[in-house]
Amino acid sequence: MNIDDLIQNARDAGTWLAQRHAARKITEIYTAGAETPRHKIKVAFLSSFTIEFLVDYVIVAAAEQGIWLQPYLAPYQQFNQEILDPKSGLYNFTPELTFLFTEWQSLTTQTSQTMPHHSPDKMIAPLVSLTKTFHNHSASPLILNTFIAAPSWPLHIMPDEKTEFLRRANRCLWETFTADPQTQICDLDSLAAYGGYRQAFSPEMKHLAQNPFSETFMTLLAKKIMSHIRACLGQISKCLVLDCDHTLWGGIIGEDGLDGIQLGPDVPGREFVDFQQTILELYHQGVILALNSKNNDHDVMEVLHKHPHMVLRENNFAALQINWNEKPANMLRIADELNIGLDSLVFLDDNPSERAMMRQMRPEICTLELPDNPAFFSRTLRETNLFAHAYLTTEDRQRGSIYAAQRQRQQLKTSVASLEEFLKSLEMVVTIRRAQSTDLKRAVQLIRRTNQFNLTTRRYNEAEVKSMLTADDWRVYVLDLQDKFGDNGAVGLALVARENERWRIDTFLMSCRVIGRTVEDALVDRILQDAAAENIPSVQGEYLPSTKNSLVADFWEKMNFNARKTGANQPTWFFDVTQFHPKTFPWLKILNR
Amino acid sequence: MEKPLKEIFRQAFDLEHIDDSMSIENVPGWDSMAHVGLIMALQRQFHVSITSAQAIELTSVAQIKEFLQQKGVT
Repeated sequence: MNIDDLIQNARDAGTWLAQRHAARKITEIYTAGAETPRHKIKVAFLSSFTIEFLVDYVIVAAAEQGIWLQPYLAPYQQFNQEILDPKSGLYNFTPELTFLFTEWQSLTTQTSQTMPHHSPDKMIAPLVSLTKTFHNHSASPLILNTFIAAPSWPLHIMPDEKTEFLRRANRCLWETFTADPQTQICDLDSLAAYGGYRQAFSPEMKHLAQNPFSETFMTLLAKKIMSHIRACLGQISKCLVLDCDHTLWGGIIGEDGLDGIQLGPDVPGREFVDFQQTILELYHQGVILALNSKNNDHDVMEVLHKHPHMVLRENNFAALQINWNEKPANMLRIADELNIGLDSLVFLDDNPSERAMMRQMRPEICTLELPDNPAFFSRTLRETNLFAHAYLTTEDRQRGSIYAAQRQRQQLKTSVASLEEFLKSLEMVVTIRRAQSTDLKRAVQLIRRTNQFNLTTRRYNEAEVKSMLTADDWRVYVLDLQDKFGDNGAVGLALVARENERWRIDTFLMSCRVIGRTVEDALVDRILQDAAAENIPSVQGEYLPSTKNSLVADFWEKMNFNARKTGANQPTWFFDVTQFHPKTFPWLKILNR
Repeated sequence: MEKPLKEIFRQAFDLEHIDDSMSIENVPGWDSMAHVGLIMALQRQFHVSITSAQAIELTSVAQIKEFLQQKGVT
């Protein structure tokens, strides 16, 4: 039986037993190498209750997304000891991500009766202190949970003091950790409320096995945990590709015409307005939008331009494939046009046969299952974890519009004669500067997400980059790019290790959306200039091949670095700084800070 | 009841066949965690309710079958 079948069986059975069976078999299959995961991650779980049940759900949910989750489970209720002891199994495991799940009862000796007179700050104090200790011993991000504030007496009339206290404690948690880049909150309370508090708990499991959660809730919680894991791996989908007829509006534009399609405040048609508003929310969270529709181009453009109730307009879309080609072929063009991998695309289409075809032809694309009734489209999209970010940078919020501007640049490119003329017409302004602490989140994001124009693909975490910002032996450069279509934000990053008599360019990457704009030359030039200013004779460049970065295999050569080969290893590249002359870039305005 | 029961045991312990003599004493992997899973799965599969007092007694295939028969499961 393969992994897909195991997942399906576990889902059909609906029991933890079936999940455990699937989790064990999946682990065997990955360990034996019978199937290759797309990603691997070591995750530690600490808890005040029996966590084994939940972890099985998470292993299966991870495999569903091609991720091999290797778990570490701290002994029952040992979370304090595991965190406090620097030699514990937890630290020995070197987790890439750590979850600490606690119930309020495990943090305080107060009871339901006395607790409301206690202070929420005091209750979470042990957590705050454990978190601090943990970060001293581990580079792994730590995820804490909010307390489930279910009503204790749902039908009573008097205010529920315990519940109110837990809500206050939850607000305290958010306030305490919002600014901590290495700590995230898994909002267990809002998740339990979403699915229904009553359904979230299993009194039987609690009393038989010290596990508070029901099998139904663990299925949902596993997906939420996967959001954190995907964010940690940088595996967040980037682009939502939409069908038009029966998806963005009811009816068929080519047959029903502008006045005939269902879209607007009346019935039927309201559900499509609602759905478009949900999509627009994603756009404002930085999700790139594209259309892939079998239609006449001018019919769809007329809706985008003229329909009074369209929420989404032409300038929300970064790529438009409106034609009579097969949709899988159009997906390739969209990925190509946006310079992102097929596995960053999510496909949404009301037509089951289009979905089936896409799954068959492009299994690496995530094709979402949609219910038949469009009234539920919004909910389906809201319940996915594909676009779940741990945080949003300014660049994220603007990404949708940045890519849409990119489409206009491409149109310009086809209308000008030479490359140089095109580059000049963009009126680019490049700012190259040493990174500040305010750049940290964006820098880490670039490190995690950039695959194609990434010379070494070293995935440093937030703590590591943070220490580089202030370390004497590191220099962190950020490159911002503006042009006449808008601000692209921070799109380039270099981590330079200052080693005795030479500098080593440890990491050099550019966001895929600026590939072909020659701004990378300016960044290399700046590093060489700075090295020259400090009388460093030699700068070293590295290239480590990955499955995705062949684009830059000859990068150092192009930058006039000389290869030095030792054995069968990749050559290292050196630039003789004594021979350095700054380059000129007639099409760039460069600001050095 | 035989077929779904067999399926539950297959998932729980990787067993292809079951017989009445199998119990918590002699089936590898039938530990306290697996036992909880077994009890939850039995309740869901056969639509019966099992108290914790009953759960700790249902430690062999024979006892489980007898319990289910008493509950009217065929």
